[in-house]
Amino acid sequence: AVARCQLSPPWRALQASAVLRRVSDEQKKEPLASSSQQQFDSHPADHQPEQEPQGPRPSYTGQGGQESEDYESEEQLQHRILTAALEFVPEHGWTAEAIAEGAKTLGLSVAAAGMFHSDGSELILHFVSQCNTKLSELLEQEQKLVQLGEAEKKPTDQFLRDAVEARLRMLIPYIEKWPQALSILLLPHNIPSSLNLLTSMIDDIWHYAGDQSTDFNWYTRRAVLTGVYNTTELVMIQDSSPDFEDTWRFLENRVADAMNMGNTANQVQSTGEAVVQGLMGAAVTVSS
Amino acid sequence: MEVAAAVAPAVRRSLWQRRAPRCAAGLQGSWPRAARRGTLGICSTPAGHGKAVVDRVIRVDHAGEYGANRIYAGQMAVLGRSSAGPVIQQMWNQEKDHLKKFNELMVAYRVRPTVLLPFWNVAGFVLGAGTALLGKKGAMACTVAVEESISDHYNSQIRTLMEEDPEKYKELLQIIKQFRDDEREHHDIGLEHGAEAAPAYSILKTAIQLGCKAAIFLSERI
Repeated sequence: AVARCQLSPPWRALQASAVLRRVSDEQKKEPLASSSQQQFDSHPADHQPEQEPQGPRPSYTGQGGQESEDYESEEQLQHRILTAALEFVPEHGWTAEAIAEGAKTLGLSVAAAGMFHSDGSELILHFVSQCNTKLSELLEQEQKLVQLGEAEKKPTDQFLRDAVEARLRMLIPYIEKWPQALSILLLPHNIPSSLNLLTSMIDDIWHYAGDQSTDFNWYTRRAVLTGVYNTTELVMIQDSSPDFEDTWRFLENRVADAMNMGNTANQVQSTGEAVVQGLMGAAVTVSS
Repeated sequence: MEVAAAVAPAVRRSLWQRRAPRCAAGLQGSWPRAARRGTLGICSTPAGHGKAVVDRVIRVDHAGEYGANRIYAGQMAVLGRSSAGPVIQQMWNQEKDHLKKFNELMVAYRVRPTVLLPFWNVAGFVLGAGTALLGKKGAMACTVAVEESISDHYNSQIRTLMEEDPEKYKELLQIIKQFRDDEREHHDIGLEHGAEAAPAYSILKTAIQLGCKAAIFLSERI
């Protein structure tokens, strides 16, 4: 296990494809094709049935298009395994066991779980990434409806509330095991990825909320929303009220605070400008 | 082990190269680039690479125009009521247009502004006001130095974008070329109005251009 963790990505890819080939040699080719009907599949549009190459496979520097298809479907296969594994998270947690169970439902050997880190990091990152994609699609659809005139444009605070609520609701099926996921996301080797996912999600929400700031506000708005999201997430983990109503009330209050912060900042600036003008006037009066 | 080590770079190169065009189409949205870098290897898709290039270009140009605005504001604060006032005002107005354009591009391409904007706000004003205190020629020297730096910078950006993909970046290239011509014009106006006769002209110019290089370097990244 230690040696596996120290493999650099290309080597892990080689090992992964070696595992896959051994696995698919052991079993019939059907199970891989049937996985395209999996309801958990997150890439229906791009899906191709796994092509088993006909000849010997000596090197990766060959020119055949088969290599690229094979390689591409390997990463897609990894995504499929992780998506299938999500079903088993409530029972097994974010662990290699869940991944192994997911691999089994795709007809693969449990050894396929060896492709991934033993702490379940990739599973969690995959889940978060999937949720973010779903959120983007949701916001994109809403925006289309508004553009077509079929829906009203929401005021900013309500938009932010709804977006954060929609995103947090995706955690509900896994809420029991979510604290474990959060702690894994905070591990040093996961922080770059998890931070990246978080910041791009927050940026997405602000983009669809209509933020067009090109000055330092760009940063303050995103920082504030990140704070709102993280605190609400923590509240949600400990919430036992029906349908998490306490959480949504907390969210409403935090978003209201954020809006007030913006107004207060403007007021402070106007007051400051007025004071400066007053002082300048006084200085002119005194000097003349 | 040596054989494996020798094969590895070739493997890596061919794998990533072949998968590059598919990566963007097949896996868009499923992993952000950085996450993929950590777990499933670096994927430098054309889409990802192009976005990074445009990001930098717009971020640094926006910062540059913002700084130039503040420099002219500083110069106007000191020399606004002198004979040089109208010339500086006219150049400032053109810079305002430039900044407006980059604000629009920034929103359209969803580029993040540089964190150092508040700093350029102050530094630009101080530079403009400081050189203006040396007199009209000092202000013109500052203009010449800055505009020369900016037009060199725009030229190298044009070269970069042309090397990348002239067709894809046609609109951006057009805008940058136009702005480069405007900055060149400001540079010439500065020379016409006696920049070279400013006190310690060559030292002033070198120092300001060094500052501009540093500003460009930082704004591209931070």
